[in-house]
Amino acid sequence: MRFTIEHLKKYFETKEVLRDVNFTFESGKIYGLLGRNGAGKTTLFNCLNRDLPIDGGRFYLEEDGQEKVLEPENIGYVLSTPTVPEFLTGREFLKFFLEINEKSIPDPQPLDAYFDFMSIAPEDRDKLLKDYSHGMKNKMQMLIHMIARPKLLLLDEPLTSLDVVVAEEMKQRLRALKEGRIIIFSTHIMDLALDLCDEIVLLNHGVLEPVDQSNLNEQEFKEKIIAALREEHYA
Amino acid sequence: MHKTLWISFALKNTYRVNTILYSLKQIPGLKHLLPDTMYQEPVLKILANILSVIWEILSAFLGKFLYLLLMVFGVGMLYNTADPGRLFLHILFFLTVIGAFANTYMFNPSKDKYYAMILMRMNAREYTLVNYGYAIGKVVIGFLPFSLLLGIRSGVPVWICLLIPFFIAGAKLMVAAYTLWDYERRGTPGNENQLGKLGWILLFLLLAAAYAPPAAGWMLPKGLVVGGMLITIAAGGISIWKILTFREYREMYRQLLNQQRNEQETASQVVREQNRKVISADAGITSNRKGFEYLNELFMKRHQKILWRPSKRIAAVCLCIVIGLLILIWFLPEVKKDVNDVLLVYLPYFSFLMYLMNRGTGFTQALFMNCDHSLLTYPCYKKPACILKLFRIRLREIIKVNLLPAGVIGLGLAVLLYASGGTENPVNYAVLVVSILCMSIFFSVHYLTMYYLLQPFNAETELKSGTYRIVSSGTYLVCYLLMKVRMSILLFGGMTIVFCVVYSAIACVLVYRLAPKTFRIRR
Repeated sequence: MRFTIEHLKKYFETKEVLRDVNFTFESGKIYGLLGRNGAGKTTLFNCLNRDLPIDGGRFYLEEDGQEKVLEPENIGYVLSTPTVPEFLTGREFLKFFLEINEKSIPDPQPLDAYFDFMSIAPEDRDKLLKDYSHGMKNKMQMLIHMIARPKLLLLDEPLTSLDVVVAEEMKQRLRALKEGRIIIFSTHIMDLALDLCDEIVLLNHGVLEPVDQSNLNEQEFKEKIIAALREEHYA
Repeated sequence: MHKTLWISFALKNTYRVNTILYSLKQIPGLKHLLPDTMYQEPVLKILANILSVIWEILSAFLGKFLYLLLMVFGVGMLYNTADPGRLFLHILFFLTVIGAFANTYMFNPSKDKYYAMILMRMNAREYTLVNYGYAIGKVVIGFLPFSLLLGIRSGVPVWICLLIPFFIAGAKLMVAAYTLWDYERRGTPGNENQLGKLGWILLFLLLAAAYAPPAAGWMLPKGLVVGGMLITIAAGGISIWKILTFREYREMYRQLLNQQRNEQETASQVVREQNRKVISADAGITSNRKGFEYLNELFMKRHQKILWRPSKRIAAVCLCIVIGLLILIWFLPEVKKDVNDVLLVYLPYFSFLMYLMNRGTGFTQALFMNCDHSLLTYPCYKKPACILKLFRIRLREIIKVNLLPAGVIGLGLAVLLYASGGTENPVNYAVLVVSILCMSIFFSVHYLTMYYLLQPFNAETELKSGTYRIVSSGTYLVCYLLMKVRMSILLFGGMTIVFCVVYSAIACVLVYRLAPKTFRIRR
């Protein structure tokens, strides 16, 4: 499976945020999306998630040589601030989610198995989500997206506000999840990107460009990325 | 000192100019005409600067003129008194005392003060003294022409009119000095926007003292007022010394402005916090249903506090009113005719009542804040089939919640109509009940449709849609105007029923067509 973006454009008034985005993402990989502040990472995600209308271009999935429209249910979009329905308990949210997706989840497990998998403590499972901590809400949100198994998973700065232990757990879960899908991970933290991602993509001056790591050690690679982001006219 | 005055002026002006430009951009239509770069357009800037200067002059004179004209002189004309001069002074005296503590300038934690003293680190004492001096100067100069103009017209001697501006300034200085002294003593700064219980009681007592006794013909003797004014002016003069020698402006403003700042930051979170609080923590709440019905049942049960509980209360109150009226008719048969006449032509009035009773706004707000705000970020929830299924369930629920009080009112009115002498045409009973029920259903459909078609909130749970605001106020206006309409039950009821049925049908079709596209979080 591949996910292709062709000539994607997005303006805000006269400002070209996304000038001409062209890229093909391959399944089974985690892509690290790096860009400077205001480069348009969140705008790109919002466009792909159809939360913002685009001003040109298109994007689609390609499976077995066939082009397919990217339906809303094919995309999972994990926001940096976790959002969970606060009036439900963790268990109720999970139960509701599994019930409305009966058809697309072929092998549902007992609810507690999911909580165990995410290391959410038994005493927290029947608490209202409004009383969950930031990290726990994040786990809950991630759990739902993992069960939903969307073909394209967009993550906007998802690990930055988590403590080191939870962040490490999340990284492992993401690595386990990447088989058969495309994960695009936007972040400001280069070490995180290098640690977790298989490919690094830069969003710079409104275009996407891959950074080739071949023959470079980590330090050289980092310097190359920074140089690329710093340059006014990177060719 | 000169420089401080100049800088604080420039700062306030920049702030004001940008506010004017920003507000221009908020007007629909102008929004797309004005470029993002408008903050650097010299022509627009000059225009905004002129507006800003005009505003400064207006604030010095117009406000004071209107205050004296409306609150003192104008109100004074409503009283029937032989001595309007004495009345003028009486009202002015009490209002000035209110203004002295409720409008101090010094203890108003405004944004320009925050920018100057906290962000730009200007010398707090110098900044305060210069600006406070300017503000008090504006009081004296701004009031002088109008106290002369309106005072003399009321028959107040010229020399007293000349004292009035100094009296107002003196009272403000006195309160300022006292508050500074109080800060030295207790360490908490005064804040004119947070008067506290005592302050509000005092304010209302003074307001009553200003306006109530003259109605009974009692007013402060002129001599007393003039004496009070002279003492205040003298005390104000002495207070200047305290204001000049006070050393802790910096600490005081740091506290005052930071306290205000924290409140501003949380202001946008208040609504969200309120909605979080209404979620019932009752551990006994469960549901045996599945899927969306499960979600809905839990939502309804955990939001009893804003949905079913008020609805039941309103129904109970309406029932009591109906029973009360029935008893009244029983014991005082002579009111029968009046009640009957009212019932036969006042049906339009009830559309406003039904508008007020409807739980639709609270329901949709809670739906967004506590439920859709988060669930709409999950892809499976955005499938058209899911959106529509949940819309059906929610429509059913909100109609049920609103129908209870509507049913009580509809049946109550029919029973009252019968008990008060009935009507020649029995169709009236049916139309009365059905039209009230229709109104209730209409509002339920209306709010939920607006929510699904306009989805007015953004991810930060702020209301962002101008269209939503316009439609809401339009609804209010129409219902309000309907109160003025007098029409027979048959005519108005019949029209209501037809309108509500047609509207609901169209609304549902629109939701089915458009909601999968429109029902999403605003970016």
